[in-house]
Amino acid sequence: MSEAVAVNQETEMEEPVFDPALAEMVIEKYKDIPGNLMPVLQGIQDEYGYVPKAAVGLVAERLNVYPSQIYGVLTFYAQFHLKPRGKYIIRVCMGTACHVLGAERIRETFFERLGIGHAETSQDRRFTFELVACLGACGMAPLAMVNDETYGKMTVQKVDEIIKEYSSLPL
Amino acid sequence: MVTLTIDDKQVQVEKDATIYEAAKAAGINIPILCHDKKLKPFGACRMCLVEVEQMKGRLIPACTTPVTEGMIVRSSTPPVEKARKLVLELLLLNHPLDCPVCDKGGDCDLQNLAYDHKVNVNRLNDEKFHHVIDYNNPLIERDQNRCVLCGKCVRICDEIVSRGALTFISRGIETKIGTEFDGPLSCEFCGSCISVCPVGALLARPFKFKSRFWALQKKTSVCGYCGTGCSVTLGVKDNKVLTTVYDENQGFHNGQLCVRGRFGYQFISSDKRLKSPLIRKNGQLVEAGWDEALELVANRLKGAGASAAALATPRMTNEELVLLKQLMTQQVGSANIDHSAGYAHAALTEGLAKSFGVAAAPSSILDIQKSDLLLVIKSDAYETHPVVGFEINLAVKNKGVDLQILSDKRGKLGKLPKANTLLHKPGSEVALLNAIAKVLIDENLAGAAASVTGYAELAAGLAAFAPEQVAAQCGVSADAIKQLARTYAAAEKALIVFPVGLAYPAHTAQLAHAAANLAILAGKLGKEGSGLLVLQEKNNSQGAVDVGFVPGNGGMTAQQILDGCLSGSIKTLLVAGENPVVSYPGQSKVKDALQKVDFLVVADLFLTETAQQADVVLPVCSYAEKEGTYTATDRRVQKVTPAIPAVGQSRTEFTVYGDLIRALGGQAPTTPADAFAQIPAYAGIEYAALADDGAFAPVAVKPALVLPVAAATQVEAGKIALLTGAALYHCGTMSHYGEGTVAACPEGYLELSYADAARLQIADGVEVTVASNEGSITLQARISLRMPEGVAFAPYHFAINQVWSGAVVTSVTVSK
Repeated sequence: MSEAVAVNQETEMEEPVFDPALAEMVIEKYKDIPGNLMPVLQGIQDEYGYVPKAAVGLVAERLNVYPSQIYGVLTFYAQFHLKPRGKYIIRVCMGTACHVLGAERIRETFFERLGIGHAETSQDRRFTFELVACLGACGMAPLAMVNDETYGKMTVQKVDEIIKEYSSLPL
Repeated sequence: MVTLTIDDKQVQVEKDATIYEAAKAAGINIPILCHDKKLKPFGACRMCLVEVEQMKGRLIPACTTPVTEGMIVRSSTPPVEKARKLVLELLLLNHPLDCPVCDKGGDCDLQNLAYDHKVNVNRLNDEKFHHVIDYNNPLIERDQNRCVLCGKCVRICDEIVSRGALTFISRGIETKIGTEFDGPLSCEFCGSCISVCPVGALLARPFKFKSRFWALQKKTSVCGYCGTGCSVTLGVKDNKVLTTVYDENQGFHNGQLCVRGRFGYQFISSDKRLKSPLIRKNGQLVEAGWDEALELVANRLKGAGASAAALATPRMTNEELVLLKQLMTQQVGSANIDHSAGYAHAALTEGLAKSFGVAAAPSSILDIQKSDLLLVIKSDAYETHPVVGFEINLAVKNKGVDLQILSDKRGKLGKLPKANTLLHKPGSEVALLNAIAKVLIDENLAGAAASVTGYAELAAGLAAFAPEQVAAQCGVSADAIKQLARTYAAAEKALIVFPVGLAYPAHTAQLAHAAANLAILAGKLGKEGSGLLVLQEKNNSQGAVDVGFVPGNGGMTAQQILDGCLSGSIKTLLVAGENPVVSYPGQSKVKDALQKVDFLVVADLFLTETAQQADVVLPVCSYAEKEGTYTATDRRVQKVTPAIPAVGQSRTEFTVYGDLIRALGGQAPTTPADAFAQIPAYAGIEYAALADDGAFAPVAVKPALVLPVAAATQVEAGKIALLTGAALYHCGTMSHYGEGTVAACPEGYLELSYADAARLQIADGVEVTVASNEGSITLQARISLRMPEGVAFAPYHFAINQVWSGAVVTSVTVSK
């Protein structure tokens, strides 16, 4: 098992200190456009990597939208994240082709090595692990992705290689 | 109009009606879960599916589909029934069948529909929900397991209440109703969500396990708190008021209530109610019989003349006020009668009496939604009269009414779409209105008013109020003032709204003149949806004015009466329901006055702070126990009848003052109808004919322009300007005995701006000492975006009179 791996998904992760300047910038950009809630939330997620709780209050105040309504939108769309995310998003395909070719083993191995399950983030915020229904490249099954990089014909060995590779990169 | 056929019945309806509305008009019942007549159509539950001949091949939701000419609708065919049954089976799949312990049992739409559609077996099988029930607040229980996701709570909280506390969270099977970040409910606790919930997902906690719905007697009444005059239905069992029952067909507000109306009823059947008369013997108040107490009071009042005085609460019925007035003026021989500190109703008795020739506002609450522009003075219209606030929300959001606000602090109304708030310095409202009047005259926007009495004097007198001259004093730019004047003048129908009451010392006769001037100058009177509306504090404030419960010729005002107690000229004081120790300004003076006066009689429901100082305490009845009329703020006269018998040995004030009149050798009207007939203002109204919606007493306006005097207010250097006002959750001090209102807002607080809080290093929620020249008080700090820098706000219900002497603006220091 790689030594660089932090194994702790039980404790609630502490959120980084919120710097409102970035959110203000995004809000300013879309302020006067009708239907601006989605682009503002997307912009904020781009800036912070997730949508911080404090940003919801700020957006509610500035755009004069109920905080509850914003939370409703954030939980409706899968694209929004309310918790800090890792620098490297590992996605493992669980589609039919990948399933037949052993996706379950790939998932298990990632879990064993990283200690994080679906939609969880490692304590050092290096990795976020996600299971997805299909990545659309069944010919390369079983398939995994790290950010925009695709890894086809995955094996248990390749899992270790991937973890090693990304663990050595700077945070 | 459009003609269509529903179940072989010809129906004619407006062309913007839906199939559901058309069916309802034809007396055909289409089942609904998610539809509510007060809310916009939503089409979520699929219970109202019908067949439409012209739209074959699918079932059509009746609640969202507009009618078309010649439409042929069938509301109850086998495919329709089958679809509805499936909807119910799906809902009952995850919904717990805990009806035996659900408070909604007997009043539950889901239960009734399942029964109607004979859903006695479910072809489907799945796990029940297991959401955690939200018990985090004392008033509203949220049990998401019973939720059918109709979204009515979400919509009413947005569309009518404009709070938006609730939302749909997540998606698909995981969808539920919740708050931001799925936390505990944090809202105004008006309970509107409970009133529309078709199932037991939202329940009133104070009513839990108190009674089955069908065991309740439903008694209609009129809410006893503010001047809005909302109709309420009281749920009564075993002679106790156990809850308020929602009735969507009640009143102009369609049964909509605020936190006070819905949850503040507990004072009626409270254990704290006085059970018998009390007489002070050897320094202690001890229980006594009515005969003894009344004899004592009658002996004191006999021949007392001008050494006696009475302060009455505008929560008494008109008829009771007539009797008390008769007692004081005819039998006792004193013109010293007044109510609510004397100044609180001056906007009517002095202000509008001179400006309009009648001590009443010409417009009604019903005008709000018919207007083009609302000019709201003080955002507090929402706090003082929440249901009027709902009307404003609806007007702005649904009817596109322009909302202009003049206020010394920001408020919830300012967040409505396109609302424009002119934030002015505390105490500068009259100068600001004068400046607007000056613009109207200078820019020839007041042409029609040139012939009105006082025009020339006003035009000349306003010379000192050019926008540029008052801009600095008001803290509002000259351009903004001019713009507002032009917008106001341009609106076809414009309605000015402002509150008056004990907590609003700035809302004087002068403010009433200034506001009336605008309406007269710009020609806004005499039109529907236009004019001026004064929101009065108590449920019968207008009635007290109409009955004339104000100082007679040479009589003393409330403040003079208190001074008289101090100087010894007043020897006997009868306080009927008022609680001056807490609500009148200058607590130490009030206490001294009540201490000094020879003989103090207090008639009240409770042993209030004032009653504790009395020599005789008379237990009297709440609105739920008596018959009579109340006059709402827009001169809507409404009748109440007893919902329960008198609590303990308490008597109605009608009986008490009638007995005193007779004891002093007078003749008292024997029935409320007789007393009502003595009120000249209600000459055209027949008591016996008063129905649930009441009747409007006419307001005949004879406009006159009066130059308002703008008093200068100065905040001492380095101090904070303290404003008083009403908290949303309370009305006067009676709400202290309504457990629901106290649960929502248990104690006083001081709202501070972020800037001041930072400068004084005060954190949200800490206790701070507020000190003025009058005294000091400890309050919890609330840091709020509402407050501008240098201004603080405290609700007056919690003895803020320890630091407040009645000044428009009190200079205070705030320290940890």
